[in-house]
Amino acid sequence: MSAAPAATDPVEQQLDVDLVIRSQAGDTRAFDLLVTRYRSRIYAMTYHLVRNDTEAWDLAQEAFIKAWRALPNFKQDAAFYTWLYRIAHNVTCDWLRKKKIQGDGEFDDEHTNHRAMPGSRTMPQGFDTPDRAIKRQELGQRIDQAIARLSVDHRQAVMLREIEGLSYEEMAEVMGCSLGTVMSRLFYARKKLQEMLKDTYENPI
Amino acid sequence: MKTPSEENHDLIRWLDDEMTVGERRAFEANWQSDPELAAEAESMRWLSERIKAHLPAEIPVPHADFFNSQIQARIAQMEVDDARERAETAASTSSRFLWLRLPWLAGAAAAALAIVGLVWTQSGSSGCSTILSTYTPNPSMKAQVIEHVDAVATVLLLEGLDPIPAEKKVVGFHVHHAESDAEVATTTLFDENGAVLAVVALNAQGQPQMLK
Repeated sequence: MSAAPAATDPVEQQLDVDLVIRSQAGDTRAFDLLVTRYRSRIYAMTYHLVRNDTEAWDLAQEAFIKAWRALPNFKQDAAFYTWLYRIAHNVTCDWLRKKKIQGDGEFDDEHTNHRAMPGSRTMPQGFDTPDRAIKRQELGQRIDQAIARLSVDHRQAVMLREIEGLSYEEMAEVMGCSLGTVMSRLFYARKKLQEMLKDTYENPI
Repeated sequence: MKTPSEENHDLIRWLDDEMTVGERRAFEANWQSDPELAAEAESMRWLSERIKAHLPAEIPVPHADFFNSQIQARIAQMEVDDARERAETAASTSSRFLWLRLPWLAGAAAAALAIVGLVWTQSGSSGCSTILSTYTPNPSMKAQVIEHVDAVATVLLLEGLDPIPAEKKVVGFHVHHAESDAEVATTTLFDENGAVLAVVALNAQGQPQMLK
């Protein structure tokens, strides 16, 4: 399975190609359109990794700036978003390494008030009763808290797989490790989440 | 027999739909004889579904317009910086100006500025300063101005000076722009940060003198 994090619609892909070519020729307006197309996804990725609005905003910006810098060397042998995603991932991981953020850090509830965009593929379908909506929100907060307590490596593994839908091969490439390590990280990350959320499974919210 | 690590990987591959049809059938067949594995698989599947449902793949960027405009501003600034760097590199590698890097010549030129006493400058329409005329108190000296647009450099060449001792440290300055005040007949020279470098005026005899 590979729900690669790129535009899958051929028309959309062609639009990306056109915008990239114009950007490579120095058209900043075209690059601005690319920023608009992908900023929400890149920001979501940086936010999920660093768990802080301001830092996520800055890192997403940095990713786009680095992408602009590197555009002349982009050969279009991969989808633009996949390429951009790797840049953003590297920028964020470098920042995390520098900050030495560990998974057992404190969690700030103020940083969990994001909502999925309407139409997002992860948006729950259907309508909830108020009571059910509150319970769903509670579960969402518990999941947020649990993921925030994972180590950076485990958090990355969960994100790349569950949110971005990368294949194991793609994950190995992005994370710079072997397939075996990818599977091990996924397993232990999920085991930890399972332990932290055991009560919600046994007594569903 | 599989190692614990291999068994863990099987569970993960099953969960992520990374198994072949045959592998999947064989893995699920084990559930009949291993209810613990079945419960573990079900628990992980439940968790995976909840995570996917609660973690959005897209989050609206706060102040999205500002986000874009900041990127555009930074790109514009980078272009300016790159152009300046290219110009500086060109200037430093140009053989025509290599002689400028000789320490004694740089010192001599900078020291000569004090001797020359006056450099009239004027801000052009492009915002750059242009040297209109020079004055040398010593008639045996000759001043020549060379402007190099690509290198964004202006060189003041002085002939007739005694050599400056090599051990003497002389620091030059870069005049960014100048402002003239006709009322008090002064010209003030500024650096690129807007700091005043020198104030020049004419004395009663019509000769230039440095006020600062």
